[in-house]
Amino acid sequence: MFNPLLKVRSYFIAYSGIWCMIAIIHVLILILFQGFSIGLAITESVLSNFLLALIGLGLWFPVFFSKLEKESIVNFILKHLFACLLSVGLWVLIHYAILNALFASNKEYKEFLVSSLPWRAGIGGLFYGAIILVYYLIINYQNFREKLTREAELKALIRESELNSLKSQINPHFLFNSLNSISSLTMISPEKAQDMIIKLSEFLRYSLSNKEEKLTSLRDEIANLTRYLDIEKVRFGKRLNVINNTNDKCFDHKLPGLILQPLIENAIKYGVHESIGQTDIEFTCTCAERNLRVNIRNRFDPEFHYKKGAGIGIQNIRSRLKIMYGRDDLLSVVQSGAIFEVTILFPQI
Amino acid sequence: MNIMEPIKAVIIEDEELARELIKNYLKGNDMVEIIRECENGFDGVKAIAELKPDLIFLDIQMPKLNGFEMLELVDDPPETIFITAHNDFAIKAFERNAVDYLLKPYSKDRLLMALNKAVERIRNQVPAAGKVKTLIQAPITEKMERVVVKSGTKIKVIPVEKIIYLEAQDDYVMIYTAEGKHLKQATMKYFEDCLDPSVFIRVHRSYMVHVDQVVQLEPYSRDNFVLKLKNGVALRVSRSGLKSLKEKLSF
Repeated sequence: MFNPLLKVRSYFIAYSGIWCMIAIIHVLILILFQGFSIGLAITESVLSNFLLALIGLGLWFPVFFSKLEKESIVNFILKHLFACLLSVGLWVLIHYAILNALFASNKEYKEFLVSSLPWRAGIGGLFYGAIILVYYLIINYQNFREKLTREAELKALIRESELNSLKSQINPHFLFNSLNSISSLTMISPEKAQDMIIKLSEFLRYSLSNKEEKLTSLRDEIANLTRYLDIEKVRFGKRLNVINNTNDKCFDHKLPGLILQPLIENAIKYGVHESIGQTDIEFTCTCAERNLRVNIRNRFDPEFHYKKGAGIGIQNIRSRLKIMYGRDDLLSVVQSGAIFEVTILFPQI
Repeated sequence: MNIMEPIKAVIIEDEELARELIKNYLKGNDMVEIIRECENGFDGVKAIAELKPDLIFLDIQMPKLNGFEMLELVDDPPETIFITAHNDFAIKAFERNAVDYLLKPYSKDRLLMALNKAVERIRNQVPAAGKVKTLIQAPITEKMERVVVKSGTKIKVIPVEKIIYLEAQDDYVMIYTAEGKHLKQATMKYFEDCLDPSVFIRVHRSYMVHVDQVVQLEPYSRDNFVLKLKNGVALRVSRSGLKSLKEKLSF
């Protein structure tokens, strides 16, 4: 909004410098080609050029309020033509009137003044064009720089969110505890160790495959969940019991990738990690033509897990669903007594 | 203790394979004898009281009672080697006078190194009484979320949100909750260090109060105030207590 020539110090210095040079040339022309006295030449040059420089600063407003990309070319040209006539006319009139009054006794100069009026108007027009051009160049340059920084920011943001999703996908404690179990299995049962390494690798590969942005089939998601749960079962043994009630008919329904695993992980964290006996995790998928409904239930001990509100994991899933489907009523979390229950509805597009 | 005799150790770890690994690594080692394995902190407390081991291998993340909470409940804690997948508890572990802190997965050599350190400590006999003191009074680096208390053989875990107020009673602190009261062997200083100072206010030499429980402050006599709580209890407020109340509740 603010005139960049006034706002940016270096621009202002350059603008003033150029006008000083123009003024000097103006003085030289008056002395050398027209033969006027030095005093007169300097007075006319300073007066007319200072006035023009001032009007030039004011030309920021017609530039600012008429953007080529926002209006038709005809409109744009008409606007500038009008602004040009107005500002040049004003300039010619004012500096003519003042000079005419100042040098009223100098007949030779008055004649020159009158005869040079068309020239002055022409030069004014040229200056108008040049100044307008400079303004548009500045605006474009600023927009370009802004775009560059915005793009860089956006890239950083994307990278950060990718990293975060990666981190949240693979819990380091899960990974290190699993590796410890494998380390133990190598001594007791190398076959089981190998089996677990393969499952862990498949799970990692699936998690690293950037499936978050795409829709996947329930079949793939459940296959990944099974791998994950198999690994956790090796760690927790009988303490983890999974009841899977998935209707086979739902296997081809679509849902965002890697959205269920964090929920199961939560259920394990609050159910299995915090209980001594067996914990059931019940996983139910039902579907209709237009939607897929997934429900995950686990028992937890409210005495030991008393934190209120949903965790970061749940919030992440909520925002992912919002981005994917543009709805925020798809996820529901119910905590009644010692049962924690999450239900997600996936609309089928 | 006879130098030739192996030291007695207990494993306290909730995952079976993790316990197996320790046993396998130590198989045939004549410096140590595993005398019991515990699947959780409750069993751990019991085993330590019963068997008085020289050394424990302790996991941190366990159901109900984590490794640190378990240690608090033990009167005369043995030397401790922490074994965990979490790398963020090392400082806290060494504040608790840990012999060593192993990150899962770890090698056999690394375990033996820790064991050697433990054996050296045990054979040089660090006085046990000094250990208990440092254990209870060590500065805490992060705020406590729950308090564990022991009455007889029963262990109770109290989330700090459920504490109404605390009262100093000689070497003990009485913890009042809606369900009842529990005695813990600790000092008020310990609770002042461990509890979140924005939630619990020390209103008197003998009292600490949960902010949400405060109903009103009444003058009692000149310069003396009484704090009324939601459950009807009235507590005396000292001059410095009044000052911190004013600061925290900004009145």
